[in-house]
Amino acid sequence: MFAFLVRRLLALIPVLLLVLVIVFSLVRLIPGDPAVTLLGPGATEDQIAALRAQLDLDQPALVQFWSYLTGLLHGDMGNSLKSGQPVLSEILIRLPATLEISITAVLIAILVGIPIGVVSATRANSGFDHSVRVISLTGVSMPAFLLALLLQLVFATWLGWLPVSGRISPYFFVDRVTGFSIIDAWLSGEPGAVASAISHMVLPTTVLAVFLAATLGRFVRSTMLEVMDEDFVRTARAKGLSRHDVVYNHALRNSLLPAITVIGLKFAEMLGGAILTETIFSWPGIGRYMFEAIRNRDYPVIQGATLVFALMFMLTSLIVDILYAVLDPRVRRKMR
Amino acid sequence: MSDLKRFLANNTLALVGTIVLAILLLAVLIGPFFLPSPLAIDMAAKLQPPSFSHWLGTDNFGRDMLSRVLNGGRYTLAIGVFVVAAAFIVGVFFGLVAGFAGGIVDTVIMRIVDAILSFPALVLAIALAAAFGPSLQNAMIAVAITLAPQFARVARAQSLGVSSRLYVEAAYALGLPRGRILNRYILVNSIGPLLVQASLAFGSAILQTSALGFLGLGAQPPMPEWGADVSANLSFVRSSPWTALGPGFAILITVLSFNLIGDSLADWFNPRRRSAA
Repeated sequence: MFAFLVRRLLALIPVLLLVLVIVFSLVRLIPGDPAVTLLGPGATEDQIAALRAQLDLDQPALVQFWSYLTGLLHGDMGNSLKSGQPVLSEILIRLPATLEISITAVLIAILVGIPIGVVSATRANSGFDHSVRVISLTGVSMPAFLLALLLQLVFATWLGWLPVSGRISPYFFVDRVTGFSIIDAWLSGEPGAVASAISHMVLPTTVLAVFLAATLGRFVRSTMLEVMDEDFVRTARAKGLSRHDVVYNHALRNSLLPAITVIGLKFAEMLGGAILTETIFSWPGIGRYMFEAIRNRDYPVIQGATLVFALMFMLTSLIVDILYAVLDPRVRRKMR
Repeated sequence: MSDLKRFLANNTLALVGTIVLAILLLAVLIGPFFLPSPLAIDMAAKLQPPSFSHWLGTDNFGRDMLSRVLNGGRYTLAIGVFVVAAAFIVGVFFGLVAGFAGGIVDTVIMRIVDAILSFPALVLAIALAAAFGPSLQNAMIAVAITLAPQFARVARAQSLGVSSRLYVEAAYALGLPRGRILNRYILVNSIGPLLVQASLAFGSAILQTSALGFLGLGAQPPMPEWGADVSANLSFVRSSPWTALGPGFAILITVLSFNLIGDSLADWFNPRRRSAA
C-alpha cells in the first residue's frame, strides 16, 4: 500500500507542475501589457510600474515562474487588486461555504442516484427505466443557471417556502467559528438558527445534486446491467440464491466500485457548477468570489481560485484512487 | 444509410432527439425571416407577456423574445459546430500522434492532456476566457481548449488498439509512409468512438459557451446569445419570467436533443451495453 501511495504521489508531480504553468500563464495570456489592462485606462505611469514590479512582469518568464512557485510554497497567491488582501486568506474564508453545499450535494446525489440506478437496472426497459433515462438525461442537459432560476422562482418567489438567497436569515447573529453555517448556527445556541441555515442550503444544494444524481443513476444502471451478464452472477442464480441476494450481494457490490470513480470525477465538474449556483443564490463561497473577480478583472483572484479548484480536483482523484485500491481486492493483490 | 435507419428505428429517444433538432434547425433558419429584428427596440411594448403578436413575450427594451431566441439559435448551433470541430481536429491529431509515436512524444502529450483535465472544465474555460478578454470568439476558443483533451484520450486509446492490428503491420510491410498509415488506416478505423465522443461534446460545448455568456465572458450585448440573454434579464425574472426562461429552455432543449442522440449512439457502438439494454 505504501509503495502504491508513493508511486501515485510521484506521478502527480509532473501534472501538478504543468497545472501550475497553466495557472501562471493565465495573466500572461492577457493581450497587450497586462499591467495596463489590469489597471484600466485611468492609471498613472507610476501605478503601472508598481504593478509590473508586483507581478514580476519586468523579469524573464522563467524567473517570473520561479518566484510564483516559491511564493506559492510560502502560501503567497498574491494580493487581490480590488481589496488589497492576500488571495489565499480570502479564499480560505470562503472555502467552508463551497465545501458545505458541494459535500452535502454529493451525499444527496449518492442517496438518490444509486437506488434509482439499481431499480432501473433490475427493471431494465420498463416504463420506470425509460422515464428515469429521460429524466436523468434532462438533468445532465440542464444549464445550472436555468435550474437555479426555476427553483428560485417556484420555491422562493411563488410558493414562498424557502429563502431566495444568502446563507442565514439576517435576524440571527451567528459568530463565525468554523465557517460552516449549520455548525456555527448550532454553536450559537439561538433557537431557529439551524433551521434557517438548512433552509438556505436546500436550493443551492439541490441544483448541484441534480446533475450528479442524474449521472450516477445512469452509470450505476449500465454497470449493473453489465455485471448481471457476467458468469459469477449466472452461477449465483444457478446455485438457487434468492433474487435479492443476487442483486444486492453480487451485482450491486461489484457495480459500486466503478461508481466511486464517477463520483470523484463529477464532484470536480460540480465545483465548476458551483460558480453559477453560488452567483445566483448569493452564496458566499469561492465560486461567487471568482465571479466577482471576473467582473472586476481581478486576475490574481481568478488565478488563485482556478488553482484551488484544480487542487481540489486533483486531491479528489487521489482519494478516489486510494479508496479504489483499498476496496477492490483485485487491485490490492496487484499492489503487493 | 441503412445503418442510420436501423439505428433510428431501434432507438426511440435518438429519433425524438433527431426530430426535435430538425425542427429547431428549420425554425432558426426560416423563422427569423418572419419576425422583427432581434435588435429592434420598441419601448412602448416592453416586458409584454407572451401573446399572439409576441409568442415568447418581449424584454426590457421591447425586443421580441422569439426573434432573439431563434436568432440566438443560429449562433448556438454554429458555436456547437465550430467548437466541436476545433476540439476534434486538435485533440484527435495529438491523440493519434501520441498513440502512434509512443515513447517520449506520447508521455509529453499525455501529461499535458492530464494537466488540462485536472481542471474542472468550466473553471478552466472561465479562467481562459477571462484572460483572453470577453468575446464570443474567445469564449469558443476557451471551451475548445477544455474539450480537446477528451478527444485526444479517445484517439490515443483507439490508435493504440488499431496499431497492433494485422492490416497495419501489412501496411508497414508494404513500405507505406507513416503519415499515410496514420491517416488511411488508423484514423479511419478509429472513427466510430470518436464520433460518439463528438456527439456528446456538442452538449458540453453549448452548455459551457452559454455559461460563459451568462457570466459576461462570452457574447456581448446586444448580440442575441442564449446564455447572455438569461443573464441580461435576471433582474426582471420575478416580474417577467419569460424574458429569462425562453432562452434558458432553448439551451435545455437543444442540449437534451444532442444528448439523446449521443447517449443512444454510445449504446449502439458499445456491444456490451447494447446486449444488456
